[in-house]
Amino acid sequence: MTDQTPTERARPEPIKAVPVRRPGRWVLIAVLAVLTAMFLHVLFTNDQFRWKFIFLSYEPGKRGVLFTEPVLEGLRGTLLLTVTSMVIGVVLGVIIAIMRLSDNWILRGVAFLYTWFFRAVPRLVLCVLFGNLNILWSRVGFGLPFDHQIGRLFGIDDLNAQFYSIKATDLLAGFVAGMLALGLSEAAYMAEIVRAGIQSVDPGQGEAATALGLSRGQVLRRVVLPQAMRVIVPPTGNEVIAMVKDTSLVAFVPVTFELFFQLNAIKARTFVVFPVLVAAVIWYLVICTVLMIGQYFLERHFGKGYGSTGRARQRLRDIEVEQGGRIVAEGGGST
Amino acid sequence: MTSDMVRAENVHKSFGSLEVLKGIDLVVKSGEVCCVLGPSGSGKSTFLRCVNHLEKINAGKILVDGDLVGYHERGGKLHEMKDSEVARQRQQIGMVFQRFNLFPHMTALQNVMEAPCRVKKEDKAGARDRAAGLLDRVGLGDKKDSYPGQLSGGQQQRVAIARALAMRPKLMLFDEPTSALDPELVGEVLDVMKDLARDGMTMVVVTHEIGFAREVGDTVVFMDGGVVVEQGSPAEIIANPQQERTKAFLSKVL
Repeated sequence: MTDQTPTERARPEPIKAVPVRRPGRWVLIAVLAVLTAMFLHVLFTNDQFRWKFIFLSYEPGKRGVLFTEPVLEGLRGTLLLTVTSMVIGVVLGVIIAIMRLSDNWILRGVAFLYTWFFRAVPRLVLCVLFGNLNILWSRVGFGLPFDHQIGRLFGIDDLNAQFYSIKATDLLAGFVAGMLALGLSEAAYMAEIVRAGIQSVDPGQGEAATALGLSRGQVLRRVVLPQAMRVIVPPTGNEVIAMVKDTSLVAFVPVTFELFFQLNAIKARTFVVFPVLVAAVIWYLVICTVLMIGQYFLERHFGKGYGSTGRARQRLRDIEVEQGGRIVAEGGGST
Repeated sequence: MTSDMVRAENVHKSFGSLEVLKGIDLVVKSGEVCCVLGPSGSGKSTFLRCVNHLEKINAGKILVDGDLVGYHERGGKLHEMKDSEVARQRQQIGMVFQRFNLFPHMTALQNVMEAPCRVKKEDKAGARDRAAGLLDRVGLGDKKDSYPGQLSGGQQQRVAIARALAMRPKLMLFDEPTSALDPELVGEVLDVMKDLARDGMTMVVVTHEIGFAREVGDTVVFMDGGVVVEQGSPAEIIANPQQERTKAFLSKVL
């Protein structure tokens, strides 16, 4: 009250209000607490879990079922299968998505038929089907297509223009068949995800890049795909995690080089059911945790220029402009 | 030998059954600033997009610096250009968009460096120096490392102008460069454009800024309904329009 002008008033006390009570929330939290306690209680007191069997030793002189050699081997198989089939899925998926967005109706049609077929057929059926593809051909190879037919056209019987071929039962069985079944099926889903991602990018982006003289490939690689990745990465994370679990389907190809098959084998041999299943759950949890951490960093990388810090700073700047530049944002926004 | 930077002859363009350009004739001389005015839907933006072949024209021809845009003429027959040839043509034509279209995943500096590095294969250090110089020139020397999302609209548009200039174009196209800006940010963008015009850049500017057209334009073109209604010096068109449609439009915007 010293030298105040009438326009400059004293700042009032900050508001100290009693918060609204939300009793429903507390009831729910209490229920969840009880359920958690019950769950932990079972985990620690029920002997049927046989934690020693899982972690320490499942047979005299052997490691726990989690760390036993065949299970670790199976784990390697599951990871390898996940990685290879996802690589096939992503690469082929991007190609099919680009075909789907082509100006040419034949390319569009082929891409559509591909996604139609592989999304329609269940993965389990595909796995069994690919395991039996060697019924169709005796040998699979690279070379002139239709070489027998072309040979006959020119009067040569049994023209063999294959540079390299391999017995179908060797190639299209086991791991490769499972990998192809999962990878080709994945490509159909990835194609849809990538297409959605590409279409989510403002067409003005492609135009601006084109107007600068960038080639079609450069526009796609440098401008459109990096922005599409923001939309592509989260559902792709889902796909990878789903793939980790779907690898257990290749047991029907059949492939034995796989986590769940190996654990099942131990179950059948030792007649210990529940702990083996718990071991499977634990390994799948571990893999998915690692993948989710990876996804977090990927999303952060492709969120460049969109980050919440950037947006927060922008909001500050907007307020600053409204206030006539009276608030000074930290560092002035320039780094 | 011609001093016509842009020459459009009887240009027609349709989208499906909708005819947007119905025979545009236009000449922009080297070093001139041509301002295109007209109500929305008059086809002025479409015409601009035809000049760098973002849209294919259906009839007529457009020449930039004496070269046919998008086609080769051999033996009286038109051949479509390959994508790479069209891209090479576009390198000489800078374009600035209404909605800036900066690449949001790149900093201001990376936005400006992108085309010189990728298209002209300039070495990184040199391109970086030149990009920094261009950002200085548009008054954004201190925003090099900001992402577009951290810049105001006016700043983004100035980065977009620097990005187009980085390719050393001989012609600049501006598609309503200030229409998406808050009123208080329009001035800074127009100042940069005036600067460019003073340096002798050939410019085609689609705009609603009558003041800019009057002050900077060497010629003013008024378009409506897909045709050029009237063209001439700013003094003739803006101060003393002859056609009814021009008068009606100017009375609304002035």
